Amino acid sequence: MATAIYIPRVNNNDDEVKVLAFDVATGDKVEGGQIVGQVETDKAVLDVTASDAGFVLGFIAKPDEVVKVGSIMLWLGESADEAIPELQESTLPRSTGEISQITAKARLLLAQSGLQADAVPPIDGRITVEAVERFLAAQGGIKMAGAAVDRSPAVDVQPDVDGTLVNLTREEKGMAATVTWHRDFAVPGYIEIEYELAPWAEYAANFQQEKGLLMPPLLPLMAWRLIGIAQEKPVLNGTFIDNKRFEYNLVNLGFTIQAGESLYLAVVRNAQSKDEQGFVNALGDVLRRAAGHNLKESEASGATIGFSSMERWKVTRHIPILPPHTALMVAHAAGRDGKGVLGASYDHRVLNGGQVVGVLKKLSTPNKN
Amino acid sequence: MSVVRALNHPDDYVLSNHRNHGHFLTYSGNFVGLVAEIMGRKDGVCAGYGGSQHLAFRNFHSNGVQAGMTGIAVGLAAALKSRGSQGVVSVVIGDGTLGEGLLYESMNLASIWNVPVLFVVEHNGIAQTTYTRDTIGGEIELRGQAFGLSTWHLNDRDIEFSSKVEGVVAKLRGDRRPAMLIIDTGRLGPHSKGDDLRDATELAALTENDPLMRLGGALSTSQLEEIKSRCSSFLREVESLAIHSTLSSFDHLPEHSFKPALSIDFPEAESGVANVRAALNSALQTLLANDPDVILLGEDLHDPYGGAFKVTAGLSEKFKNRVISTPISEAGITGAAIGLAMAGKKPILEIMFADFLTLCMDQIYNHAVKFPAMFSDSTVPIVIRAPCGGRRGYGPTHSQSLESMFVSVPGLTVIFASHRHKVGQLLINASVRWPNPTLFLEHKLLYAEKHDSTGYEEIESEVADLGAELFPTLRKGRLDPDITLLSYGGMLPLTEKAARLLEENEELTVEIVVPALLAPLPRCSLLKALLHRPRILVVEEAHHHFGFSAEVLAMLAENGYRGKVARLGTAPVPIASARSMESALLPDENTIVLAVLDIL
Repeated sequence: MATAIYIPRVNNNDDEVKVLAFDVATGDKVEGGQIVGQVETDKAVLDVTASDAGFVLGFIAKPDEVVKVGSIMLWLGESADEAIPELQESTLPRSTGEISQITAKARLLLAQSGLQADAVPPIDGRITVEAVERFLAAQGGIKMAGAAVDRSPAVDVQPDVDGTLVNLTREEKGMAATVTWHRDFAVPGYIEIEYELAPWAEYAANFQQEKGLLMPPLLPLMAWRLIGIAQEKPVLNGTFIDNKRFEYNLVNLGFTIQAGESLYLAVVRNAQSKDEQGFVNALGDVLRRAAGHNLKESEASGATIGFSSMERWKVTRHIPILPPHTALMVAHAAGRDGKGVLGASYDHRVLNGGQVVGVLKKLSTPNKN
Repeated sequence: MSVVRALNHPDDYVLSNHRNHGHFLTYSGNFVGLVAEIMGRKDGVCAGYGGSQHLAFRNFHSNGVQAGMTGIAVGLAAALKSRGSQGVVSVVIGDGTLGEGLLYESMNLASIWNVPVLFVVEHNGIAQTTYTRDTIGGEIELRGQAFGLSTWHLNDRDIEFSSKVEGVVAKLRGDRRPAMLIIDTGRLGPHSKGDDLRDATELAALTENDPLMRLGGALSTSQLEEIKSRCSSFLREVESLAIHSTLSSFDHLPEHSFKPALSIDFPEAESGVANVRAALNSALQTLLANDPDVILLGEDLHDPYGGAFKVTAGLSEKFKNRVISTPISEAGITGAAIGLAMAGKKPILEIMFADFLTLCMDQIYNHAVKFPAMFSDSTVPIVIRAPCGGRRGYGPTHSQSLESMFVSVPGLTVIFASHRHKVGQLLINASVRWPNPTLFLEHKLLYAEKHDSTGYEEIESEVADLGAELFPTLRKGRLDPDITLLSYGGMLPLTEKAARLLEENEELTVEIVVPALLAPLPRCSLLKALLHRPRILVVEEAHHHFGFSAEVLAMLAENGYRGKVARLGTAPVPIASARSMESALLPDENTIVLAVLDIL
């Protein structure tokens, strides 16, 4: 049986040595204790001897090669015509950790596709990129939701064309922050339904008459109805934080208002604690302050649900941006021929289309109670 | 002052200490320059940067660390000797400095190199508030004699004192060998401000015997009054000129003190060398053969030993007197190398193990990097080579990677090449094209590694990054990787193994980024290469807390990096000797893989 002569450890500090030369050739007979070659470290040259007699079958190491201590230097056999044993040596460095059953790259793909590993049939016992891709293809190609890791923003350079950099006002900065939240965090969807204008018009006219108001407060009343719906269904009044849904304990109604060049989201805090008329008055107050650019900090932030109308401009439909940390923003627009469109932008991480349709249907008629 | 007065050769040097005013005035006669410097005015001799203690003017240099200039003095004297100058170096210390070890390393070096340096001890018997009779053991003269220095002991009360000093200096200049001169003198006032605890009688006796006072006593009252009056009006004029000089300020607030790279034609490093050791050896040979100012210093460099890691093998035979084995005096030889560099030489110093760089720290931190930063005319182009790193079982004081300490030294360049870099070219660039104090780290395990850049490319060097072009950062792998491994020096072979494991076992796309220039950090170049990568793991063998990786990741955070990061290094404990314990402490391919899986 063939036996190996190994590269010896010359000292405790050198894990690799250089093979200097061999004193024997293939086919030679060697005696136990005979010198077969030399290895060299930084500091010393050492003879390597055969521990037993035998015939040189062949060399694994080569002269001038730097080799690991403990690797095979040459093979000896009991006879000169024995074969050198074939060793399956992996060229891949050994890892002490166990090979995982799901590759890291496959794990990334699963996270990006929103899939659970147990849904994917493994290939040869492992879930690999190929296994995930095969599964996705079989499902009709589920769309990837984008990289799981937030990449750093590209730095936008100044255009080549001449111009002037203008600083943003506080309101403009607020708007930029809002739309950036929408872009970076929400997974936005939009749904709309058609509805009859008459019941709401009638309800608002009655309210005006009953309370002796100057105008029928249609939009505040619709917003009040939205607050009521949100109280019945807390999921509407929430947001998405750290892979969990966050449901607010109170309703802060955000209402868009254009005042001159500035677009505000005026907020009535703790709106659910008021009654219908109290809310209509409170909203009227913040809208007046917004029109005068006098919103308090607490009236310009903290919305938990939103309402936006572009009826004033005769716009017939629009898709609002979601204010930070909200999941629903209702879009009211101008009607035509007795019918109007009621829409909503929503954060698909929190709400699904069915839930939003439900809200819009309820909102399309005044609360009969 | 008598010694300075006796120096009359244009190549003579005066190195002084924190109590330098008399020495400086005697050397320069520049009263306004000194007073304005102390007042922090633009007309100060160093425009306000140095203040009272740190002055540089022609061949006069003083600094604020007691024995700090003594090794430098030996280096300057060695440079004078090598170019056959008749100049000499005097270095002035106080008797308090006799407590510092560097002085004895310097005296020994001066002795064995036989260079013309005069160690002048101003012996006034008190150090700040402590009588030196309580702090000096044995005789002062015996210290000089023990090192084989010609030693004199004079007293400045001696009427022939000045002429005797002239005799000492003349003898030194003639003999061209090191000497020590002890001068008994008296300190008439406090060390600095109100810290003189001596009683009035003692002070009065000192004043009475002061040579200047006694000289005054020999003059008539009218002569004395006239001299005093002339001096007063002269000093008033000096004061007025100094006080009316503009307050010192920066024209541009400096962000660093590095001098730009020099454009110099020089033979390229040999390519096709077998391994990193051969690349370094060949580069040193190229440097010695093509630049007569290059000189190698270090312990055990000589043949047939050729250095502890054989990097200088064959060089001392080939370049006689330019490859110098030194005593075991790491601080002293660092000082000497600084002196040689200040005198126009290009010393390349080997510290046998990087662990011993701590012994050189004062010379690096308070001298080598400070002179070019404080004094615009000063350059200190030294290169300190040091083998570092573990994985050979050498234990706690022969296995360390100390770069985290040195990258934080303002004005120090730290280069740590990998086997994928053109290591020899980097050493040539550091020695002839980079006129700044430089630490050139070499991992012990890389010496035998094949020197091969296959598969790597240089990242683009941004112009704003000083030195980035001379000491490039390499990269390998796709530009849209799942993970970027940033690593350097001796960690690279292990990082490459980890990358293979991650690619083959985990199907990840791995990019490897390998800087060689750790400080000044090539910030713009690295930012451009890293800012948009989704995940970055910085791997270093050093203790990584407060280290290189911390700086890289802080830079990314400050610049809006939004991906995931982690760092991997060695815990803040000594590196164990037992191989099994050592390998458990140091990062390797397996811990790299685990760290990557952790941040995905």
